[in-house]
Amino acid sequence: MQAESLNDTDWDIVIAGTGLYQSLLALALSRSDKKVLHLDKNSYYGEAEAAFSLQEAEEWVKEQNNSSASIENLSPSEEDGPKLSFPRAYSLALAPQLIYTSSKLIECLVTSKAFRQLEFQAMGSWWLYSASKDSEPDSSGTPAEASGNLVRIPTNREDVAFSDSTIDLRSKRSVMKVLRFIMDYDNQEELWEGYKERPFAEFLTNHFKLPPTLVDLFLALTFSPTCSSQTTTAFALPRISRHLRSIGRLGPGFSSVIPKWGGLAEVSQVGCRAGAVGGAVYMLGSGISKTESIDDSTTLHLTSGDIVRTKHLVANPVSLSSNSSQPSQNSSEGTSRSISIVGSSLPALFPQLTEGAPIPAGAVVIRPAGSFPSETSDPAPVQLIIHSSETGECPKNQCIIYASTPASAPAGPSLLDAAVNALLACIDNPPVLWRMHYPFVPARIPSDAGDGVHLFPAGMSADLVFDDTILDRVETIWRALVGDTNAAFLVFEDREGQAEDEEDEYL
Amino acid sequence: MADASQGSAPKPSSSVKLVLLGEAAVGKSSLVMRFVNNDFQENKEPTIGAAFLTQKCPLPTRTIKFEIWDTAGQERFASLAPMYYRNASAALVVYDITKPSSLTKAQHWVAELQRQASPGIVIALVGNKLDLATPSTSPEGADEAAEDENDDDEADARKVPTKTAKAYADEDGLLFFETSAKTGENVAEVFTAIANAIPETQLKGTRGSAAARAQEESRVNLSAGRDTMGAKEGCAC
Ligand SMILES: Nc1nc2c(ncn2[C@@H]2O[C@H](COP(=O)(O)OP(=O)(O)OP(=O)(O)O)[C@@H](O)[C@H]2O)c(=O)[nH]1
Ligand SMILES: [Mg+2]
Repeated sequence: MQAESLNDTDWDIVIAGTGLYQSLLALALSRSDKKVLHLDKNSYYGEAEAAFSLQEAEEWVKEQNNSSASIENLSPSEEDGPKLSFPRAYSLALAPQLIYTSSKLIECLVTSKAFRQLEFQAMGSWWLYSASKDSEPDSSGTPAEASGNLVRIPTNREDVAFSDSTIDLRSKRSVMKVLRFIMDYDNQEELWEGYKERPFAEFLTNHFKLPPTLVDLFLALTFSPTCSSQTTTAFALPRISRHLRSIGRLGPGFSSVIPKWGGLAEVSQVGCRAGAVGGAVYMLGSGISKTESIDDSTTLHLTSGDIVRTKHLVANPVSLSSNSSQPSQNSSEGTSRSISIVGSSLPALFPQLTEGAPIPAGAVVIRPAGSFPSETSDPAPVQLIIHSSETGECPKNQCIIYASTPASAPAGPSLLDAAVNALLACIDNPPVLWRMHYPFVPARIPSDAGDGVHLFPAGMSADLVFDDTILDRVETIWRALVGDTNAAFLVFEDREGQAEDEEDEYL
Repeated sequence: MADASQGSAPKPSSSVKLVLLGEAAVGKSSLVMRFVNNDFQENKEPTIGAAFLTQKCPLPTRTIKFEIWDTAGQERFASLAPMYYRNASAALVVYDITKPSSLTKAQHWVAELQRQASPGIVIALVGNKLDLATPSTSPEGADEAAEDENDDDEADARKVPTKTAKAYADEDGLLFFETSAKTGENVAEVFTAIANAIPETQLKGTRGSAAARAQEESRVNLSAGRDTMGAKEGCAC
């Protein structure tokens, strides 16, 4: 089989691209008897969900022609302060996301046994950045952002009880009331039905009489990628409820997890490894320059010069196109993102969540819209996900800040910088050693491509939370490929020699 | 749970990701099979894609759990290896002492690892199929046997002198062993040497008991909540 040439093989399935969708499909197909050829035109795995060393990040930025992606190396040159480490000491995620413990992805990784090759870590505290506007008038010389502070977002009774003085006694009662309601919101539809399509902030203000500072706490928990005026009650309630109900499922205190070593990129690679173990042939650096459909087979001209024949082609619009940059750089629709390497472990952001909770590897900071007086007419929130060195994404005594805002360039990038600087100003002002800016173009659902060609979206949505519908799409295409409507999706036995006695160890 | 680290508590255990690389048929899968199952197959079929196995290696002060990726020497497009050595803490680069070309290939792998893998990766160069060489009591002896007696002694199929490979390994700072997956000679020693060579700072659970617990605890056990889902659900409000 190994000796057969690419061209002589009648492939059942050619998968183009190694992004999360295609890699999960490779995992799903890894126990089938299909002949699978898995290509990627890039020289790395993961497409839009890749994780990069500093050098790979630089190469990627260069490839993003006519986009506003850029890198700044801010490492101080002489002094003995914190310094950037080797390029390969970093593994920076292009599309970081939180995975709630209630996500179907967790279930699928366990039943497919892929979880044995992954290491998941807990996200820790969620913080709200507040600009503390009332103290501003007398702080004459200091810049506005220096006067901000961080409020830990409470999600249960103890949090509320032990929260600092920023929440007074009366407010504590209101916060508890809202938390209790959201845990049970689906049984109390009459309370919020009238607000369904109206802003969630309005519902909280009118119905619970919450003051604006507390409204911000709950808005933050929605982790909405859009502006608060667009965050409807119908959107917000299930999201906060998911957050609250995810707490405690996989251990005390935390509601979401992240894969170690670069987030979803690691999940992609585990999917591809499973594909390889199942006999799929892998070829990096090989794109598709031309496709021709004849009868029930598709002929693909590869950039390597090979011509291969397959019954099915699975791809996404980007993996099918021959240039190597991200989808259409229509910057007006994209959100802005940045990745900052910080020269401090920022211990203040990662307190132990609760007795017996795992060491948190990440934290979330939400900077609500309108925090800076200088902001323009269309204020946008900034979401910050901070990964500690526990994630393996940076060396010890450093941190990675992933920042995202729905505002596009040119306002977006400066908003991100302001938010990162403001956060750091709250915690001893450690230096940013390296920073990358890039526009993030949320993937659209592609229209169907025709016989024998199956298309996934090219990358993730703007949401920073893993979207379970990804698995539904993978399952639909997997069923079409294997022609089995009854088989269980992503349910496998351990392969020989792989089963672990981990269970005993934890007893 | 608070202070379980004293007394009869189990030794700290840490995971080490290890990848095997090398030309086809040098005996990578056989070495893993000897290490994991203490078994050997005379006609082992070539690995397709890759295989994943785990095995524990007890050391005096801690237990190392190897997560082993055994790659296919015949991999056609060299597209898989990068995925396996990504984040690996150790690599075993194998050649066949009866096949000089396999040492050249091994040197290419070492160069690629030094260029692309994690900066602190521990690399062991392993010359396998030692049972095919004329037995001798000391490595020096084996060396001379290889050089001096090759022509006279037909039983000795060795083509790569120990000295040559050892000199190369020393130059590049690699661990070096000659093994036989067939007889089991030196196989456990390779893995133990690797386990000992992994810097303490890279290991979880080795820096005193308090730190040990803390470090271990950043990992979340995904299958933990499966049976109790629903029961522990939700916040305390
Ligand atoms: N005499 C002898 N034969 C060995 C030894 N190790 C492996 N072999 C034989 O060499 C052949 C190849 O061994 P494998 O373990 O399959 O080699 P591999 O490196 O995994 O090969 P690929 O999977 O194709 O990359 C088999 O027939 C083994 O029985 C050894 O130490 N001594
Ligand atoms: Mg093998």
